[in-house]
Amino acid sequence: MGVVLDGLVLGLQLALLSVGVVFVYGLGGVLNLAHGQVAVAGGLVAALLLQAKVNPVLSGLGGVLAAGLVALLLDRTLLQPAYRRRGEERLLLALILTLGTSFALDGFFTFRYPNVALSLRLPAPSVEVAGITVRTASLAVGALSLVTFGLLLVFLKGTRLGKAIRCIIQNEAGAWLCGVDVDRARTVTLFLSGVLAGVAALGQGFFSYLGPDMGPEFTILALIVAVVGGVRSLTGTFLASLLLGMVNAALSYWVGTYLTWIALLAVAVATLLVRPEGLLAYWP
Amino acid sequence: MLEVQDLWAGYDDVAVVRGVSLRVADGEAIAVLGPNGAGKTTLFRSLVGLVRPKKGSVRFEGRPLHGLRPHEVVRQGVAYVAAERELFPQLTVLENLELGAYARPEGARQRLEMVFELFPRLAERRGQRAGTLSGGEQQMLAIARALMAQPKLLLLDEPSTGLAPRLVAELYRRLETLRRQGVTILLAEQQVGAALGLCSRVYVLKDGGVAFEGEAAELRGSAQLRMAYLGGT
Repeated sequence: MGVVLDGLVLGLQLALLSVGVVFVYGLGGVLNLAHGQVAVAGGLVAALLLQAKVNPVLSGLGGVLAAGLVALLLDRTLLQPAYRRRGEERLLLALILTLGTSFALDGFFTFRYPNVALSLRLPAPSVEVAGITVRTASLAVGALSLVTFGLLLVFLKGTRLGKAIRCIIQNEAGAWLCGVDVDRARTVTLFLSGVLAGVAALGQGFFSYLGPDMGPEFTILALIVAVVGGVRSLTGTFLASLLLGMVNAALSYWVGTYLTWIALLAVAVATLLVRPEGLLAYWP
Repeated sequence: MLEVQDLWAGYDDVAVVRGVSLRVADGEAIAVLGPNGAGKTTLFRSLVGLVRPKKGSVRFEGRPLHGLRPHEVVRQGVAYVAAERELFPQLTVLENLELGAYARPEGARQRLEMVFELFPRLAERRGQRAGTLSGGEQQMLAIARALMAQPKLLLLDEPSTGLAPRLVAELYRRLETLRRQGVTILLAEQQVGAALGLCSRVYVLKDGGVAFEGEAAELRGSAQLRMAYLGGT
């Protein structure tokens, strides 16, 4: 039972990380390889604020905001030449630009902040709910991600800009012709992807700790989920996150954590072999 | 209303539109004819900002349109119905229409009623996903969505593409209604007969330039002219 809950929460955590990647890909035609570094930036800012004795809630918010701003900056500066191209050319140029960014940020973080780590400890390590012992960290991360996704859903379904963003994913030219400023919507989406990554970084801080060198790991996790879910499908991304979360939790429980990476990659490879477009490639 | 002067546009280093000049007066319906590859679509795309003109000017009601981005062009009162229709396939008819009013949310309710009156079939199918409509219905929806932006000038690129002759006739009756209601129309067409019935003046494009310009009646009356510029259609 505890394993199922761990798997679910881990799945939500993976979803936080990968939904941003999928969104940016669907909307901007850009696969952001610096996504994990954006998350780490947020986590490090939160850690530094905590070190400076800022209130923990404000530190968390500050970290999330910082991650959003790093992504926004990336959109407004480095990605601009990529946006001027279309299709595969844009994808390729953006891959190189964001890969370079990821190396630069990794180097900066590990050089400048080698010993800074985000670790969020709750007052009690575990509580008993309906006869089951549950880690408080799991509850915190579960609640945090559900609230975040709730807000995201309200934004997408309930606001003008949110609806515009959903329609851009379906048809960019159609959106322009309806009077949607696609460039601005893309900037907002990059910011939101950063915010989601920042929340994921906080989640990592609750679970264990987040270090300055964890960017590549986050990026790869997000990409695995995106591949399994179908890089254009939000529903697929969500289901893939939960599936991989479960697989991961079950394996660490019964076998050992050393196998989890291999298992995640195996699932991704198997998906590519059976359904190269992802599990739910053609779903909205 | 619309004044295009020596417009050059294209992709990368290739100019597809080479020095086109044309005028559309308030309340007119104008046809741009010509074979595939003559530059009709690129001309339209450069008018609405989907392609950035390399040279020349586009003025709408005296204000420059060139250099504006597509969403700003819509706000100026110019709506474009692309040949590909560019609908949102997963969204319903109603949602597509609502997004059509994105640039001009005020008064969207009344325009929705107006649009449903013009295209009763869309009212029947308002809850259906756009991707599941027939070709004719999708074209109607594309035009209806453009009308939701309350355009003064409506640009239509090959509206009859893929439609059965009966549907083409029906479509052009609707366009005639729109023109009488005061919507100015500029359309590109391969079905010369249908376009000549609606439009008062005609531009024929060839290799990216204007090869002929004149009254629609001239072309209607002269098989020779039609043969010379349009390959005998």
